[in-house]
Parts: sequence; structure tokens; C-alpha cells
Amino acid sequence: MNEHRRQILEMLSQGKITADEAERLIAALDRSNVTDASGNGSSATGAKATYRYKYLRILVDSDNAGDPHQGPVKVNIRVPMQLLRAGVRLTGLIPPQARDHVNQALHERGIPFDLSQIRPDNLEELVDQLNELTIDVDVNNRNGRGDEKVKVRVFCE
Amino acid sequence: MIPLVGVVSWRRWPRSRSFRLWVPLFLLWVLLLPFVLLALPILFLVCLISRVNPFEAMATFWGIFAGFRDTHIEIDNGEALVLIRIL
Repeated sequence: MNEHRRQILEMLSQGKITADEAERLIAALDRSNVTDASGNGSSATGAKATYRYKYLRILVDSDNAGDPHQGPVKVNIRVPMQLLRAGVRLTGLIPPQARDHVNQALHERGIPFDLSQIRPDNLEELVDQLNELTIDVDVNNRNGRGDEKVKVRVFCE
Repeated sequence: MIPLVGVVSWRRWPRSRSFRLWVPLFLLWVLLLPFVLLALPILFLVCLISRVNPFEAMATFWGIFAGFRDTHIEIDNGEALVLIRIL
């Protein structure tokens, strides 16, 4: 596995990949090491279960083509997964009578959602399925200066 | 562990002047501690009235509070770079 890591660092030094991509490749390499260490019979799901993601990353890249007076905007946010897990547990603090009111209001609006069903395990399942999410947004600029392209990337590491 | 220090840094392009401000959050927690201790009995009472486990509520809020550590926010609009870190 040191050979793989060396190749990643070589590509980074040659400019073939960015530092961000190198970091994600190395993280993926570490996850595959966990699979090998736990035995070759482990499935990909099992490997992900033993590897707990530590951060949620959100990258926003806007070229700001619609405004010639302003350059591209880049946003980089890293949120600890511990914060999200603790936030999910907040649903357990909702008083039962308030929860029933909320569920009833949701059902009246055609949303078959039950707040009591939200568990921290749901967040882990969502994170496991969230390999990498990329959203391309084209903003139509009305003053005729061209469309603005915004790319949003959401992933866990 | 709860966040102890906040770092705010900003830089203006293209002259590359950068400023960094270290915020000692631990001092803020020390200042807020007496108020939290005074509010604890009231919070317990509210939790009991609402039929919510007060210890679970405290553990959840503590988890949220501690979860802010290692948060990193960086915004670059081409004219200025703002970086906020919670350590």
C-alpha cells in the first residue's frame, strides 16, 4: 500500500491531481486497508461500517460570470460528523405531545413523515450512501452578462 | 472536548495583507459557567414538565457543544479570504 500512496504523491507533485483529490484518494486507500485488515471476506458495506467518517465537507465553487467586478467565489466548509450525530439526537428531546402535533401537521400536508423514526443510525446510513455528491447549478443572469455556474460538492472524509 | 480557541483570519488581495485573531473561547466558558449553574435547576424543571429526560438533554447539548470543535470555514471571493477555525 505504500506504493499506492507514493503514486498518489507523485501525481500530486506533477500537478495531475489537486491536493484535495490526493487527500480523498489517500482516505480511500486507508479504507481499503481496513478491509484487508479485517479479512478479505468483508464486504464493502462492512468496511464502511468499521470506518467512521470524521468530517462532512462542502465545497462551493462559483465562477461569478455574471458580475465582472467580482472574481470567482470559493467556499470550503468542514463540519465534524460528531456535530451532525449530536444534532440528530435532538429529535429525541422533542416532547411527546409536541412531536404528535408536528407529525399530525406533516400528515395533513401530505408528508408521511414520523419524527420519532429519526435515529442516529439513519445518519450513518445516509453517510454510507453519500459517496460524493456533486451538484451543478446554472444561474441565469438577467442583466445579460452570461450565466453563472456554481458547483457544489458534498462528501465525507 | 469542548472548543477552546477560535481563530479568525482574513486577507485582502492583491496586497496580501493578512490579519489573524485568536479568540480564547475557554475564557468565555468560564465567564458563562455561573449563569449556566444558575439556569440548571430551571432547565431541569422544564425538562421534567415536558417529560424529557434532563440528563439525556444535557448530554445531547453537550455533544452539540463539543461537536463544534475542528470546524473549518473558508470563504474566498477573489478580493478577500476569510478563514474561521474552531479548535
